[in-house]
Amino acid sequence: MSSQTVAVIGGGPGGLRAAHAITEIGGQVVLIEQREFLGGTPIAENYAGLTPSGEPAEPQIRAMIEAVTAHPAADVRLSSQVTALAGEPGAFTLTVAGADGDQTIECGSIVIATGFGHFDPGRETQMYGYYEYPDVITLPDLEAMLKTHTVVRPSNGEPPERICFIQCVGSRDRHIGNEYCSKVCCGVASKEAIEIRQLLPGSKVYIFYIDMRMYGYWENEIYWPAQEKHRVQYVKGMITEVLAKGDRLLVRGEDTTMGRPMELLMDLVVLSVGMEPSAGTRQMAGVLGVAQNRFGFIDAVGGPLDTVSTSRKGIFACGAALGPADLEDTVSSAAAAAMKAFGCVRANATATAG
Amino acid sequence: MPIGGRKVPPRAVEKETATVASSISGREVELPASWNRMFEPRVLTGTGPDGFDALAGMPGAESLEWCYGCGKCVPVCPVDLVGEYAPRKLHRKVQTGTDLTADSDLWLCTTCGNCLRVCPKEVDMIQIMPAVRESALTSGGTVPGELQDVFEKTFRYGNALGENPRRRAQWARSAGVPVRVLPSDPGPVDVLFYVEDYWSYHPRGQDAARAFARVATALGIDWAILGPEEKTLGDSQRLAGEKGLFDALVEDVTATLAKYEFARIVTPDPHGFNALKKEYPKRGHIFEALHYTQLLAPLVSQVNWAKELDLTVTFHDPCYLGRHNGEYDAPRTLINAIPGVRLVEMGRCRENGYCCGGGGGGMWLDGFTRDLTTERLSERRVREAAQTGAEMLVVCCPYEVSRFEDAAKSTGNGHLKVRDIIELIDEAMGLAADA
Repeated sequence: MSSQTVAVIGGGPGGLRAAHAITEIGGQVVLIEQREFLGGTPIAENYAGLTPSGEPAEPQIRAMIEAVTAHPAADVRLSSQVTALAGEPGAFTLTVAGADGDQTIECGSIVIATGFGHFDPGRETQMYGYYEYPDVITLPDLEAMLKTHTVVRPSNGEPPERICFIQCVGSRDRHIGNEYCSKVCCGVASKEAIEIRQLLPGSKVYIFYIDMRMYGYWENEIYWPAQEKHRVQYVKGMITEVLAKGDRLLVRGEDTTMGRPMELLMDLVVLSVGMEPSAGTRQMAGVLGVAQNRFGFIDAVGGPLDTVSTSRKGIFACGAALGPADLEDTVSSAAAAAMKAFGCVRANATATAG
Repeated sequence: MPIGGRKVPPRAVEKETATVASSISGREVELPASWNRMFEPRVLTGTGPDGFDALAGMPGAESLEWCYGCGKCVPVCPVDLVGEYAPRKLHRKVQTGTDLTADSDLWLCTTCGNCLRVCPKEVDMIQIMPAVRESALTSGGTVPGELQDVFEKTFRYGNALGENPRRRAQWARSAGVPVRVLPSDPGPVDVLFYVEDYWSYHPRGQDAARAFARVATALGIDWAILGPEEKTLGDSQRLAGEKGLFDALVEDVTATLAKYEFARIVTPDPHGFNALKKEYPKRGHIFEALHYTQLLAPLVSQVNWAKELDLTVTFHDPCYLGRHNGEYDAPRTLINAIPGVRLVEMGRCRENGYCCGGGGGGMWLDGFTRDLTTERLSERRVREAAQTGAEMLVVCCPYEVSRFEDAAKSTGNGHLKVRDIIELIDEAMGLAADA
């Protein structure tokens, strides 16, 4: 461990990709993860399939984990939390609290890969009854069910016949303070809708939206097949409230295409919750002293052509620690951050040798 | 209301009717006053995939479900300009529980194809409409009586007008030139001229047919007609939902054609032309088919013009010649070749031509659509034609002369004359009987 080492904080897809990238280009890396396992949110939150491909999440993430743990140049610290930073770029000292007490790690540069958390739909102005009705669930709740190939109404264990997704829950909302679009929910909801239609062919699946944001290939890879092949019903118009009616849920909203109110009975309501900075992201910003934007994500200060530099020299960030990001964004920015961080320690080595 | 210190209470006046003009479209809607005063929204409760389940069982109708609601079809839908329509709205109606086979909306589409031209998802009304209409016909859905009547006439007489098939070549007697009728004068011929119903029977169509006879003869074209053996090619009946009738007509027509030797089929009817280009080949019957403007356009340099007409005209693209089959230039080549004729285009022309309302069965539904639209499409089109300042609206589809002449009168544009291109050529060549 030395100033030639890059420290990566966070062992999810972004951190794993960054750590692996550093070993691939001949660097030394120490990967610090607060949980007792690697894999990040996809593993902790029981994701079934990756978006957009729908490939099972666990084997894919496991392969990423093994690429890091099997590499001799990678030092993985689980159940470890960074509590302090000292030193200068090129010679940082991290204090890490782990199972065996406090330790220090010397490193030349740092990559923050502490990711996001799912929006809590019980918060503030959300009135969809998430904590009131067992049959109102979130995207990750449904992911966990899809992982076991059993989609049921939590209230009675029966398979639902009518399922709807409500988009933009916790995103694009000034009241809540999350004015940004969470970017992935349109794709994830559509992917889950396809999976439900495959699992329960007799089901009717609806997606209520303000506008579908299926950028790039997600349009043709998810949205169009969901509609044309899997017969998911897309309805332009948001649900404003969910009311109990008998043992079902009455969703009420405005059909903006028709300019008319709509009321539909559902067996299962899925809230497409957005992304917020994870607790770890907020904590690390404080501990490491890097600037956050007003939403709490790490601020990328380099403008559109440098997406990974933070306000502090020698410290970089990637993935959803920077803001809403899908997996493709995350691994791309992770590799970019790894390259920057490695460049930092190399420049330092050259300077020292000279 | 305070007026100089005096309070004058507002006085409510209820008018019998009110005219409301949209600030966006400029469209005016007349409303009984009571509509303005109170209404309550009807709550949608039936949204779901069930309507599309039904459509999925009708081959060709599947793509309605693909609509993602962008609304690009709405401004180019001719029916939407005179009512509340367009594919996007149909999609939504079906999604919210409307059974299309029992809904009057099913019969408003003229299959003009302008929505498909702009649709990013390729929602294909040209396939959807005949498929759902066929289902309405066979499953006891609501079918307009006047359309049923045309189907019966076509079935019985081989033409949509219910005219005597033996009188199909009657027009030729007064053409002023001999017209060869194949059944009585068999033998090889270059051009089999497929006259179709409206040039055979409608008085204004017959004028055009006679003009064609004189022009073709003067140009030395070797041509003949089937006379009493000709039956309609039936494309509009097909698009109106009578696939069974169309298939039967294909059998009859091809059996007749098999008896004669000809190189090409030329027809004045873009609908029949469309059938020969697209539907007959699907059933294994392949002919070289031309619209009459395509036959004549390459020959314009050989024409001996006799006089200048001194006319400013505008031209209406037939949907089934233009948008459906890509021919925009042949008619214009002919118009521009006529001495003294100046062509001014309407705003909606060529690929974006506005439908006359006659396609897809609309020719026979004017009574039915009257209660569902603010005016006929032909009336809307005639207004546009009149706005160009042209003194004549020139056409090349047999449906259009009568449609537009009626519309010119009903919209107070009686000064706007309507002629088929062939009538102008005939006149400028000095062949016309009254020339």
